Amino acid sequence: MKEKDIYVDFEAHKLVYYAEKEDNSYGPIISGSYLSANYLDDHWMKRKNLEEQLRNQVIANEISPILYYMTFLEMGPKDLASRAKMSMRKLSKTFKPEGFNKLRVAQLKLFADIFNIPVSNLFQTFLIKGDDQEKIEMKQAATDNELYHITMINLK
Amino acid sequence: MNNNSFEHKMYAHCETGTLVGLLNNAGYKTTEAMVFGLASGIFFGYLDTKDFPFPTFIVRSRPGEVRENLSKILNIKLNSFKFKDADKGMQKLDDLLAQGIVVGAQVDFFYMDYFPQWMRVHNNVHFINIIGKEGNDYIISDSYHREIAKLDKSLLKKARWAGGTMAPKGFLYYPEKIDLDVDLTKIIPKTIKKAARNMLNIPIPFIGIKGIYKFADKLKTWSKQVRDIEHFSHEIIKINILLEEQGTGGAGFRYMYAAYLKQAGEIMNSPVLNEMSEKIMKIGDDWREISYFAAKIGKNRDLGDDRIAELSDMIRKQGDAEKIFFKELKKVY
Repeated sequence: MKEKDIYVDFEAHKLVYYAEKEDNSYGPIISGSYLSANYLDDHWMKRKNLEEQLRNQVIANEISPILYYMTFLEMGPKDLASRAKMSMRKLSKTFKPEGFNKLRVAQLKLFADIFNIPVSNLFQTFLIKGDDQEKIEMKQAATDNELYHITMINLK
Repeated sequence: MNNNSFEHKMYAHCETGTLVGLLNNAGYKTTEAMVFGLASGIFFGYLDTKDFPFPTFIVRSRPGEVRENLSKILNIKLNSFKFKDADKGMQKLDDLLAQGIVVGAQVDFFYMDYFPQWMRVHNNVHFINIIGKEGNDYIISDSYHREIAKLDKSLLKKARWAGGTMAPKGFLYYPEKIDLDVDLTKIIPKTIKKAARNMLNIPIPFIGIKGIYKFADKLKTWSKQVRDIEHFSHEIIKINILLEEQGTGGAGFRYMYAAYLKQAGEIMNSPVLNEMSEKIMKIGDDWREISYFAAKIGKNRDLGDDRIAELSDMIRKQGDAEKIFFKELKKVY
């Protein structure tokens, strides 16, 4: 494909593509991502809907936060079991609230590290009301105590 | 400590990009397309295993194979290390950096926090070059990032010992000895034959051309494996991501392989290779049409059986086209 047909003007997400250049040689060009430029709105909408759906299932005690994060992060159970150093059978028990409630703090910490979240986020979700989203900034910072995070909420 | 002479560039793919960066830095000037082609990296495989949350496909050889093949074929001695003990693995990295050595590392992409969160997924086969250290931060040359980046020590440690499928186990490597006078005219024919063999002759029903056909067939069953229409849309749009966006250089590495054959044709003074290069470029264009089509029907939720059958037919035709192409390529040498 010709360079001019591949090139997309999208600053936020750049990639290297290979293309036919003006001099008929083939080589790399840096271009914006076609998908990000044209389909990111749809991606965000689906992510938001999935998050809400999974959150409602956790609230209704149908699934555990472990299954919530595994599904949301598109991880496979075999991969997660290996990272969490447990069998697939044992992992599948943690997908249900009863199994999750039996996990020890050290195991919760391991899951939190895999999901790259504070341990406390396995027990809570922060939601900013729609109208205020643009005005508020939230940041969670680790401390020297690995189980203790500080959540900072600032007005922009 | 920092290796200031290292030239950071963006590349299409992390494994090939890391290798090119290390080789160029060590004095062996090459291109990403040459590294990919010489390592016979072009491939196809349809994967439906418990390792993945949903069926998927690959368009390049097994992660790490490009490095292994290139080292073998170009007679490059690579020093490599894996570590059970993370502290020892971090210390080894610091020791190498202190000697001014730029080090390639395998990491879980999820922890590369210089990318926005929405881009990051757990993927244990991401490769980066680590070029220095400043305080608690490591200086990173990542093929997907426009500038040199910094990564906190604790995140790098998590990323190097992430566990899971294809766990990095702290893997580090760097070229120790490179044969600068290697005769590419003797090597190129072997690499082309090997690539053709990988696509045509591996007796596994989901690998090579057979994998493309398997993908075309199995795609028709995806609707039974999804949670809902939005999940289906997401998986169909991922066809575009896997072909175009995940470090392939476009069209599932077919464009990059076209660039290799073009350069190989010049080295070999072979008009036939030049023609083959144009043919795989055209096949790449058709893969790109599939990518656009998948993204469009995914976004429009136009995912009825007829539309999926149409997409399946397009993929099957790619199987036919690649079968002819690789048979022809195999006969060149």
